[in-house]
Amino acid sequence: MTADPKKPFPILPLIRNEFFLYVLSFVGFLFIWDWVAREQILGKSLAQPYDVVQELTRLLSVKLAGKDLLGHIWDSTRRVFIGFAIAAVFAVPLGLLMALNRYINALVKPVFDIFKPMPPIAWISIAILWFGIEEASKIFIILIGAFVPCLLNSYNGVRLIEPELYDVVRMLGGKRRDEIFHVSFPAAFPAIFSGLQISLSIAWTCVLAAELVSSRSGLGWIIIQGMRLTKPELVIGGMAIIALVAWLTSLLVSGLERLVCPWRREIGGL
Amino acid sequence: MTEKDRPNQIKISCQNIRKVFIQKGKIQVHVLEDISLAVYRNEFVVILGPGQSGKTTLLRIIAGLEAPTAGRVLLDGQEVKGPGPDRGLVFQSYMLFPWRTVLGNVEMGPKLRGLPKESRRKSASHYLNLVGLAGYEKYYPHQLSGGMKQRVGIARAYANNPEVMLLDEPFGQLDAQTRYYMEKETVRIWETEKRTVIFVTNNIDEAIYLGDRIITLEGKLPGRMKAVYPVPLPRPREHTDLAFLNLRHEIIESSKLLL
Amino acid sequence: MAYEEVKIKKPLLLKILSLASITAFFGGWELIVGTGLVPSTMLAAPSSVFQLFLVKLTDPNPDGSVLAAHVWMSIQEAGIGYLLSLLIGLPLGLFMGWFTVVRGVFRPIFEIIRPIPPIAWIPLCIFWFGIELGGKVFIIWIGGVVPCVINAWAGVKMTNPTLIQMARTYGATDWQIFQKLCIPSALPMVFGALQITLAICWTNLVAAELLASDSGLGFLISMGRRLALPEMVVLGMVTVGIVGALIGLVIDVIEKRLLAGIRR
Repeated sequence: MTADPKKPFPILPLIRNEFFLYVLSFVGFLFIWDWVAREQILGKSLAQPYDVVQELTRLLSVKLAGKDLLGHIWDSTRRVFIGFAIAAVFAVPLGLLMALNRYINALVKPVFDIFKPMPPIAWISIAILWFGIEEASKIFIILIGAFVPCLLNSYNGVRLIEPELYDVVRMLGGKRRDEIFHVSFPAAFPAIFSGLQISLSIAWTCVLAAELVSSRSGLGWIIIQGMRLTKPELVIGGMAIIALVAWLTSLLVSGLERLVCPWRREIGGL
Repeated sequence: MTEKDRPNQIKISCQNIRKVFIQKGKIQVHVLEDISLAVYRNEFVVILGPGQSGKTTLLRIIAGLEAPTAGRVLLDGQEVKGPGPDRGLVFQSYMLFPWRTVLGNVEMGPKLRGLPKESRRKSASHYLNLVGLAGYEKYYPHQLSGGMKQRVGIARAYANNPEVMLLDEPFGQLDAQTRYYMEKETVRIWETEKRTVIFVTNNIDEAIYLGDRIITLEGKLPGRMKAVYPVPLPRPREHTDLAFLNLRHEIIESSKLLL
Repeated sequence: MAYEEVKIKKPLLLKILSLASITAFFGGWELIVGTGLVPSTMLAAPSSVFQLFLVKLTDPNPDGSVLAAHVWMSIQEAGIGYLLSLLIGLPLGLFMGWFTVVRGVFRPIFEIIRPIPPIAWIPLCIFWFGIELGGKVFIIWIGGVVPCVINAWAGVKMTNPTLIQMARTYGATDWQIFQKLCIPSALPMVFGALQITLAICWTNLVAAELLASDSGLGFLISMGRRLALPEMVVLGMVTVGIVGALIGLVIDVIEKRLLAGIRR
């Protein structure tokens, strides 16, 4: 059998190259978006990518309801951080306590299990009834939303520790207190950080929902304004910014985790 | 099973140990029955038995992590009532603290006993040196190979200055080459800093290579003592030595152990 | 240096504590509303919530439907969105995990969509679908497709490389390896996705209904607020919680049945 003397044009390896495809796909996505928006295939709902960018840059200096873009970003971020911080400060230690002490577990877990399956967003109405439409109601929802994963993860983080690790401490002469401080806590850190990440992402969803329902500032409000004023640039711009900021805050938590848990190796992330 | 006439040098004595695990549905797992043995000071005793013969449970009882259902364990004449720093345990699955460096792991024992940092560090470095891991102080366990992790485990147990070292099939998870190497290292370390050692294994060659005396357990539950074999061979031993092979043959024949 | 105390620490005491805790919770709740500590405009006592529950079993007023109708509507929306998430997300994730071309094409889109909270899509959905079923299904789907893709993808990535090499030495093609090796290997992760996707779908359902619906449990909750009827709000919340938990249990049972043969 004679070998084929002609080498096929090397387009095949190019198509197989992952990175090339990423770029192609992304550019294609932008083009389709632009085309759909321009031809108004979905009505007036979409704005062209360039217009979105323009509008967003405009908002950096022009004020929308008294704040520029950064002001709105700060409002949303601030709410997220306050709610998230309060939730973490209470939920993480409580989860640890529940895992370490049977009595506290017996007391708290049943009530917690009642609240666990309720989506945080279901609380919006109650929150508004109690706190009105001011900051408190939003922070309350974020708190509720962030509370459950934090608690659950720190609880499980301790419960899933290999029991033989405690044996090691006891053989080395440690007491119960040493077991807790030298095994339970450090072993639970990775799980706690996972919980924080999940909580953070839920927190962003909650702040968005709260702002969509009733708010006078923030990224969710920008989206609603876009809907009311029929300015799709605001809608899409708001969505994009929220995604960006949420991603950045999640990077922050990851960075913190890498600082606190230097032994955590990467398990081939997605 | 007869105790020699050196009664005041008996380090560990097990007297009629029986262990029964009671599970909630009253299903009893009878793991050990009538185990009586003595280990002399600075002796290297190997407990040999196939899987599921109760040897790990026996070691844990000596360590104080489990309580015997009947019988007792004496250390220097005092009854053992729980775990403690006078016995060091090396686990089959290493059990290193993943969040501490190699040095952090080894100095854990002295740290728990409240020793000041300086002497802790010195002691830890000394034992890391002893096991051949000088220079790896700042590594984390996940960066080490199996053999290295086990050496850290040994250093960690040693650094706490126990009177007795207990090793639970420590090389079971290593490949054959590493295992041979670790056996040699174990003898070297033990001869450098002598301690009383109780070593559990299912590998007959390992047992003969390492031990001063081999105690075999029955191959089925409940585990009972089968026989005791003194190993009067001089160290370092050779797997292919005639005396080695003879002893091996004898043990296999009488125990019908699978290779 | 005592032996660790036998770990059967008075199970009776623990059960009593749990019971006491729940009783105290409901009792306290009833009390603070009953005694007027908290005005009944802000919180409804468990008793009045239960009363409303009984009423709503048959009375479609004042929100427009009987309780069962709301529940059914919610389950429908969530169910369709959930199934669509599974049907689209799982295969997509599996393919993306193995085939470079598929990954190359879909990954950028996925990574862009992924960080956007599903709720952010609501205004767009209202525009595209109005407050009909379609809009809510879309939101639920876009939230649910993410964990499906991620889990299926991870499942494929976790295929034992030794098995893959072995298959190659037998001359298996990419497609055959994918079919016969990667997909079965990924099954545990795929099943893991079932529960978490459900939780996410259910959450997004409530949010979607709160903002853009005229029936369903989320609608019931927001109606309660608009009519200043906290009993309705709480009833809605509790029903959401209970139905969500029940569906989760059903999925759990199904999962156990299907996984009965497959060992991790």
